[in-house]
Amino acid sequence: MAKTLMVVDDSATMRKIITRTIRKAGLSVADEILEAGDGGEALEKIKSNPVDIVLCDINMPGMNGLEFVKQARQDPANANTKIIMISTESADDLIEGVKADGADGYVTKPFTPETIQKELSPFM
Amino acid sequence: MAIAQESLSQALLEGTREVFETMMFMTVEQSNEMYEGIDGEALLGSITFEGVIEGCLGICTSIDSARMIAGNMTGNDDLDTLSSVEIADAMGEVANMVMGAIKGRLVESGDDIHVSIPTVVRGTELQNSLGDDAQEITETVSLDDSIARLTLLYRFPE
Repeated sequence: MAKTLMVVDDSATMRKIITRTIRKAGLSVADEILEAGDGGEALEKIKSNPVDIVLCDINMPGMNGLEFVKQARQDPANANTKIIMISTESADDLIEGVKADGADGYVTKPFTPETIQKELSPFM
Repeated sequence: MAIAQESLSQALLEGTREVFETMMFMTVEQSNEMYEGIDGEALLGSITFEGVIEGCLGICTSIDSARMIAGNMTGNDDLDTLSSVEIADAMGEVANMVMGAIKGRLVESGDDIHVSIPTVVRGTELQNSLGDDAQEITETVSLDDSIARLTLLYRFPE
């Protein structure tokens, strides 16, 4: 069954790139991929439209990706939602920290369709 | 340990190549031509940073080059359909990713910086300024048939 996805990034261009890359990677995802411009909007949207996988930027105005992960994991309704971070940040301690807070994966920008496919495949 | 200008210059070029080649499928080459500015209006994508060094990165191109970059990033071949907001957003993301690539190289060397959210301005004769004590690295690169001016202004915090 196709997975439902949400892409969270303050840049509409980057949301478009991520969505296009997911389609290119040939993964089985629902026709509609939801979008949000920051963590707060994402939390609101997944309350009414739960998704299987969230791909979330870290550096965003408003609620950033690190805070989103913490708040999303406090709600038991999101227990089965996989959260993959997508960021230009590549420091090991940051990646380990956000995974300890509840992120399930991490992709560094710039990325290729192969990178996205590799990171998402275990959750498909 | 002070960061050498040479290694920052290398990180700037390598980071730019990595971003353009991976996300936009565009070839980046150092240009040997004398930089004489960009004719007409340009877009300048900038991002600031602070940490072991502080300053800002700027990437400046003509509007037509920025439109091509945005088209390649989003996979939109019909460049005329791209709005000025989409083009500016793409330039901001380019600055963000190049800065991320530079930061990644600094982190690998044991240094760290905190990076801001990118901004984009449109106009003529655009350039960033960081005061008289700033050090400056500038590179002119060719992107397929166009050019971009990369500027890294930085100083060591007191």
